[in-house]
Amino acid sequence: MRFHGFDVLVVLFPLLAALIIGCLSFFGWINGEAGEKTSSRIAITAISLALLISLASLATDSTEVYDYGTWLHVSKIIIGFKLFTGGFNLALASLFAVLLLVVMRFSLNYMHREAGFHRWFFTLSLFAAAMLLLVLSANAVFTFIGWEIAGVCSYWLIAYAYDRPIAAHNATRVFVTNRIGDGGFLLAIGLAFSWLESADWAAINSGAVDLEQADATCLALSFALAAFAKSAQIPFSPWLARAMEGPTPSSALFYGGVMIHAGVFLLIQLQGLFQQAPLAMTVLVAVGALTTLYSVFVGLTQTDIKSAHSFAISAQLGLMFVECGLGFWQLASWHLAAHAVVRCYLLLTSPSILYNSQGRTVKPVAPILANCRWAFIASLQRAWLEVALDWAALKPVQQLAKDMSYIDDHLIDPCFTAPASAIKTAAELAHSEEQKIGANLQSELDQFAQGSGLAGKLTQWTAVALHWFEQHFILYGIGRDSIQLGRRLGHAANHLEQLLLRPRYITLFVLISLLVALGV
Amino acid sequence: MNDSLPLLSLCLVWPLLGAVSIAVLSNRDLAKRWALAVAGIELLLTLLVAFYFDPEDSSWQLQETYRWLPSLNIQYQLAVDGISVWFLPLTALLTLMTMQASWQNVQSLTRLHLALILLLESVTIGVFTATDLVLFFLFWELTLPPIFLLIGLWGIGAERRQAANKYTLFMLFGGAPLLFAIILLAQNYAQQHGGVWSFSLPELLATPIDLALQQLVFALLLLGFAVKAPLLPFHTWLPTVAMQAPTHLTALLVGLKLGIYGIIRFALPLAPQAAFEYRWLLAIIGAITLVYAALIALRQTNLRRLLAYASISHVGMVVMAIAAFNQQALQGAVMQLLNFGLIASSLMLLAGMIEQRLGSNELVHLGGLAKPLPRLTTLFFLFALASIGVPGSNGFVAELLMLLGVVEGLPVLSFVALFAAVLGAGYLLNYIRQGFWGPVVQVDVQRSQDLLPRELLLLIVPALLVLLLGLMPQGLLANQSLAVIGWLQRVEQPQWLLVKN
Repeated sequence: MRFHGFDVLVVLFPLLAALIIGCLSFFGWINGEAGEKTSSRIAITAISLALLISLASLATDSTEVYDYGTWLHVSKIIIGFKLFTGGFNLALASLFAVLLLVVMRFSLNYMHREAGFHRWFFTLSLFAAAMLLLVLSANAVFTFIGWEIAGVCSYWLIAYAYDRPIAAHNATRVFVTNRIGDGGFLLAIGLAFSWLESADWAAINSGAVDLEQADATCLALSFALAAFAKSAQIPFSPWLARAMEGPTPSSALFYGGVMIHAGVFLLIQLQGLFQQAPLAMTVLVAVGALTTLYSVFVGLTQTDIKSAHSFAISAQLGLMFVECGLGFWQLASWHLAAHAVVRCYLLLTSPSILYNSQGRTVKPVAPILANCRWAFIASLQRAWLEVALDWAALKPVQQLAKDMSYIDDHLIDPCFTAPASAIKTAAELAHSEEQKIGANLQSELDQFAQGSGLAGKLTQWTAVALHWFEQHFILYGIGRDSIQLGRRLGHAANHLEQLLLRPRYITLFVLISLLVALGV
Repeated sequence: MNDSLPLLSLCLVWPLLGAVSIAVLSNRDLAKRWALAVAGIELLLTLLVAFYFDPEDSSWQLQETYRWLPSLNIQYQLAVDGISVWFLPLTALLTLMTMQASWQNVQSLTRLHLALILLLESVTIGVFTATDLVLFFLFWELTLPPIFLLIGLWGIGAERRQAANKYTLFMLFGGAPLLFAIILLAQNYAQQHGGVWSFSLPELLATPIDLALQQLVFALLLLGFAVKAPLLPFHTWLPTVAMQAPTHLTALLVGLKLGIYGIIRFALPLAPQAAFEYRWLLAIIGAITLVYAALIALRQTNLRRLLAYASISHVGMVVMAIAAFNQQALQGAVMQLLNFGLIASSLMLLAGMIEQRLGSNELVHLGGLAKPLPRLTTLFFLFALASIGVPGSNGFVAELLMLLGVVEGLPVLSFVALFAAVLGAGYLLNYIRQGFWGPVVQVDVQRSQDLLPRELLLLIVPALLVLLLGLMPQGLLANQSLAVIGWLQRVEQPQWLLVKN
């Protein structure tokens, strides 16, 4: 069918809506309650059109890839803009479009008269475009583009109430945590280009057969890192609970329905690659199972509905990772789709559930578990996972930053210090030193110490140096200066050694030597 | 091709004429308008250069050669290639932005200020177009006086005089090795051509140099350019200048990376074997600068200092990418140099606008800027996200290309690059969190005024370019690709090696 080329509109319509709302709102052409109808209509029309097109395209039932041309071409790096026009990708895109439409319609009332109404619909439209691009793209780079922009939208919506410090803090933290996963994704793209000379999903999957197993495992693990971070698997799980700070519809959309599944989607996309890397599959199973156990355990003690949901979500996602790791790709994709629908609904209704179940007590945990005090505390503290991560990753980096600042301010800068003041101090010091040693070089009377010409100057300098040496080491003998100097040196050496024995430096050295070893 | 019009000389001389003619205008407002008109026409002229530039031709274009000092065979020689051509419109655009940004800020000696800015524009264009090494060195050193005076006379910090001194001494220190290296190169040429000297870059590129001399030349050039770039450990002037100098000047300094341009244009091609042999050194310096400056940026509470360290960190990434010695990394590096002019300088100008409104860039005096200043915040977000390389911005394209190049050329260091990418998001977004988000505490913040139409206009252009280049980078990259390929061939297999074999 010639219809395929139109698939790009699925992405373009929401993007256009975001642009229009963004411009209108930036220049103040829509403002406050009066403009609410305009911006919500633009957003909802766009996503509806996108949904219609994807459904129509789904009806034609093809599995080919449509190539829209080259986006970037530098030497052997060719990145084409290609979209899937059928199959699982389009079906998932349609499902996501339905959820996006539902949530947008829901938030029409929910966000009414909120201060950031236009910002809300701008971000949702941009998110819709990013997510649909992520799902439809047949190229890893464009999937990454969608992946990252969706992350930025999530960052904005967690900080929707940006004047609350907690929201701002959580948003920043979630985004930076996700950057680690993004790093894995970028590394994987780089490896794919240097080993397979392409970042098309099809090329990666088919090329994986020819890769050596170690290389395939490395590539698969890089992608897996990205998936773990995006789908809140251990050790990244804690970000999900923080992300629940945003308004309920955004939680339903991002973490219930759509974005949180991107990690599992990535794995399903890469079936071919993972099947070549048994070790990576094992890691998937291990991490998925661990996350499920962890989430169920922690979820037992959650007292508010959104936290309970957030742990239920990571438990379900953990199961999907296990399914992927065991090779049940079909099951994982069904699980993904079903979970998206159910969880989105559950989160959207969570305020009403709270309202309707007022006064009714929650069913308590089984007594055997409830009586185990240590388990209770551990569960309540979310197994100290976040604390441990802070201690293992965040703290050393902060300390390192502190040390580097110190070095910059107290060692490097003085070496090339601000000349004006330095010259001034140096001159003053020299002056007082001269007075102290009695060799007042500036004085007319002291002609003896003045020299002229090269030889004369040399003599003069030698004389001063010798005088200084005698003054400090011979005259005072083992007196003040040398002992003081020695003591200071000793202190400095001690300090340095203590510094070097800190875990962060040892880790740093180990890392550097690893890097060097790898490099060799 | 346009042979009759010496376009590059015109680009060079026109701002100079403008600077001189300001002396005649006694009316301050008139002088301001005239200077703006001169800068605007200069932008058109440089765009004309880009228009006449033929991307299908990998050699020097729009070349102009006149004899200058015949006894030493020093020539007045200007030319552009795919690497340098886009820096001309960028310089002109930045000057125009600078002028608009300082429209109301500069109250004293306005005419001198405008003349100095135009002078700086002229010599900067000279740096980008000169292909005779002596001429280049002349322009390189001539950037000093205007910057010295601009920092010293219109600086916003109390220690502006010291900062001006510091900058000058650093640059003089960097200048000496450059001059030494240039003389060594010319002498080498003279030895091989029977005592005839030449300082012309195309001719020096075709002259064989033995390895020992190459090593010396490479070390000297690298030292000279590292000071300006700035690379560790010669970077301390930039944070000082950022704190003391007028923000529009800092925007120019962080926007136009002359030091890295010098490394790409002169240091590597003139000593290719040494550069290839010591590329690990370059890569390690780059990697250390990248992480070191990013770590320090994490601890900054002042936006201008933070942006200065961020700029140093980005320079480290670019140097690392150059050391990967492949096309994608190099194209990413050159594109990133152009991006600096749009992203880093816009961020610095925004910092200046905040400074102008609140009298400070310190976190304790900010907090909750997003509410009273929505437009400023939106634009700051746009440039900040571009700076950390979020897709859709030109920063992403350059970072992606550099990373792909590094993964291929120096696979181990790609981990360092990725680590720094996380840190980059950390320091900028953390500043946004504390400065732009959160509750409004200060009364001044509550009362401050959002961007004026003039300020909006001056930032909209780079903002649109950021998005445009991010969505459609191929045009720019294709424009540079032949020059970059030629560069790589010259460095990896110098012409004189081919001749000898």
